[in-house]
Amino acid sequence: MTGWNFLRLYTVAVYLFMFLPVAVVVLLSFNSRQFGSFPMEGLSFRWFVELWNNDAIVRAFRVSLLLAALTAVISTVLGILAALALVRYRFPGKNTITTLLIAPILIPEVVLAVALLLFLRWLDMPRSFLVLLLGHVIFTLPFVLLVVQARLVAIRPEYEEAARSLGANPLQTFFAVTLPLLLPAVFAGMLFAFTMSFDDITGTMFWKPGGVETVPTQIFAMLRHSISPEINALGTVMIVVTVALPLIGMGVARRLAASRS
Amino acid sequence: MDNTRRYERLLDRYRHGDVSRRAMLGLIGASAAAYGVMGGPFRNFARAATPEQVRFDGWGGVVSEAFRQHAFDPYTKKTGIAVVDGTFGGADEYIARVRASQPGEFNLAHLSGVFDYARYHGLELTSELNEDNIPNLANVIPALQDVFRGITGGKLSAVPYDYGTTGIAYNRKHISDDEMKEKGAKILIDAAYKGKIGGWSDWKTRIWYGALQSDQDPNNIGDMDAVWDAIRANRDLVLKYWGSGAELMSLLAEEEIYVTEGWSGRIKALQDQGHDIGYLDPPGGLGWQECIFVLKGSPMEACEELLNFMLEPEVAIAVAEGQNYPPALDPAKVELSDKVKALPAFDPSGTLEGLNFFNAEYWNGNEEEWARVYSRVERGY
Amino acid sequence: MGETGAAARPWILLSPALATVAFLLVVPVLFIIVYSFWLRTATGAELPGFHLDNWQLVFGDPFYRDILLGTLRIAAITTLFCALLGYVPAYVIAMSTTRHKTLLLLLLILPFWISYIIRTMSWINILGSSGALNTVLVGLGIVPEPVQMLYNEATVILGLVHFLLPFMVLNVYVSLDAIDRNLLDASRSLGASSLQTFREVTLPLSLPGLAAGGLLCFVLAAGTYITPLVLGGPRQAMFANLVFEAVITQLNWPLGSALSIVLLVVLGAVVMVYNRLVGLGQIARSFG
Repeated sequence: MTGWNFLRLYTVAVYLFMFLPVAVVVLLSFNSRQFGSFPMEGLSFRWFVELWNNDAIVRAFRVSLLLAALTAVISTVLGILAALALVRYRFPGKNTITTLLIAPILIPEVVLAVALLLFLRWLDMPRSFLVLLLGHVIFTLPFVLLVVQARLVAIRPEYEEAARSLGANPLQTFFAVTLPLLLPAVFAGMLFAFTMSFDDITGTMFWKPGGVETVPTQIFAMLRHSISPEINALGTVMIVVTVALPLIGMGVARRLAASRS
Repeated sequence: MDNTRRYERLLDRYRHGDVSRRAMLGLIGASAAAYGVMGGPFRNFARAATPEQVRFDGWGGVVSEAFRQHAFDPYTKKTGIAVVDGTFGGADEYIARVRASQPGEFNLAHLSGVFDYARYHGLELTSELNEDNIPNLANVIPALQDVFRGITGGKLSAVPYDYGTTGIAYNRKHISDDEMKEKGAKILIDAAYKGKIGGWSDWKTRIWYGALQSDQDPNNIGDMDAVWDAIRANRDLVLKYWGSGAELMSLLAEEEIYVTEGWSGRIKALQDQGHDIGYLDPPGGLGWQECIFVLKGSPMEACEELLNFMLEPEVAIAVAEGQNYPPALDPAKVELSDKVKALPAFDPSGTLEGLNFFNAEYWNGNEEEWARVYSRVERGY
Repeated sequence: MGETGAAARPWILLSPALATVAFLLVVPVLFIIVYSFWLRTATGAELPGFHLDNWQLVFGDPFYRDILLGTLRIAAITTLFCALLGYVPAYVIAMSTTRHKTLLLLLLILPFWISYIIRTMSWINILGSSGALNTVLVGLGIVPEPVQMLYNEATVILGLVHFLLPFMVLNVYVSLDAIDRNLLDASRSLGASSLQTFREVTLPLSLPGLAAGGLLCFVLAAGTYITPLVLGGPRQAMFANLVFEAVITQLNWPLGSALSIVLLVVLGAVVMVYNRLVGLGQIARSFG
């Protein structure tokens, strides 16, 4: 079937397109030249060594990890609660509320960033790690909500009703039945939130308090001085981290899903 | 004052080479970094009488490392006041953040010259330094101080720190020194290099060079239409308006462009890496200075003392060598290193008479309209 | 379970999320609406009050309208390319019989997990004068000297497509995967060719997924400013760049607020139309 082969070829081409920048970043991070351009002159690990010795980046990495992890947890908790309400209950104004909760995706981040800052100034509330965290929660929440909601729709309420009829209260029902069934989506949502938070630059630039740098803002600061392959090395490290994390997460999620079914 | 003496002894030993940089760091051993991570909500440190920390914002990278090592850590050791350092991507982004902040949330900043100083003054964000607390100010080139004093009624809200130029950088493989000298600023509107010209996306720089290209005094433009036309001509030939030093360097180094305005320090860095890039300050070329600014609402004495640390010759020289811009120290009063003396834009006389600076009053008066008009001219209007 | 308790329960569950969104999004947005009627004075300070100047400028000046239309056009082209590039892989993965569907899907989405700035900037290393592509072309003698490929509208769209493609693939895949295979078999057994089956059955059933992916791509593309900044030439500004410039470069927050609201209203209108035609629920379904 040549038609099907053509489609497969097409698919492979799209995969190549998606991976081209990744490949270039990884390749150039081993380039020994000062400027990350071709042709490469030799292999070297010097940019990784410099990266390792760059305290600012290492510190930023820690901040980013902490921030992204907290964001993921908070967004996911809020997202699960909201999804439960939206899927399991009927109440007036549901459509409006759904739209409202998805709205942060639809608003350009610059606008969100400035609006929030103006509001905080009016409240006389200085920037702090908390503000940065809340800012990240707000723009990751819709994604978590959407993921969890979609999964929750697919879980039939009969299981929960069965648990209730056996005398479990709503809280027990949630932890014994709903949550385990929901776990794959919870993991997926957390991953979404984690990576989006880890990658954010626009909002972070505005919200970050004194002395706090995240990896993307640190990259931005590095850009003023030079475009050294250190940035490519950082990219490679981030690829390893961000590829490994979802893979592990997905693996856990699949195992959990498999053990339940 | 026991602490002060101990610090001075330490600094003295350091100067004589008895203590290595690393050992000095180890001796001082203060860690301010942990401070910043959890600032805690609703905290207002600046209004306290003795602050626990002051906040410094700068360009990050080598500059911030030099400050941390040579000024912040010794300062913390002496006073017990931690220095929290942040970075900004640009002066505009920083001023936006300051405006949206509480008084005292930001304290010191490494800002660019006269224009921004005047902008902060216009926004009523200037403070008043007690110069008696900054003895090292005596070493600073008077010409650089005078422009600031002119804006804030004889007083200072900042100390000048370094200076440089925005001249023209060109690839000598494609453009000879003679051609460059002959054409000057007009090479940036030479149709022969269409698609190989770059420029800084900053509207002030664009208008300054537009004035030079239309044979006018940038600080007293008579025919603004001619300037806009020059900017349009430039825009139609330009491949890319860059926005950061990294972009400037990679565009030139990878021969994406052959000629562009450039920051003297960044071009010097390119030359040091072995690229055959020439640098020329054309007649009427643009000079600028950077200062360490103290914002209104800051704990003044603590900031003044930190400024004095930052103006210590070895601190200023280390920073200058890191970022390739000469320090604001008067060469007649302070012995500068050979490396500093070889930096582009360096003026051995210390008078800076050969450089042209933005006339802050003139430019601020036109800022609102020019910035907006530029925004549309850049997009093809 | 008391009746009143049951009625209150969804609101209790919703309250943390709603409070967060209300406090950090709704109120701030109301704030900038007020702000848009203020004025910026020559020194940069603001003049509170009720002034229509910003709105007159935004509506009266063809500059803003043209950039807005240009932005919508770029977003539309980006969406179109995402659909063209994204549909086929989603189809191939969904219809293939391999056990590793999830893995294949995950692989395609992987670049999505890599820093946006680094990813955007890496195109410079690919398309630049001394980039990968030119090095290969010159090395093979196909062109005598490097071709200028960067810093135009095409590279902006390229960067955006690369950024947004995963959103499209994910959405289309989910709707294709949900199609009942018996329908396809039935169509074939009734004598339809595979092309006919695709046109009459598969495509219509996957349209909601395509629409959901399209909406996300469109909205996210229309709101970016970093991609045109890094990969565009002098003229490739998008509307969000104007917002950024007004707010950051010109410190004209009232004007920036007015521009923000314009962008918000336009994108909001797109969402409304979509909601009428398809329903927002489809986006939710696509994330399963």
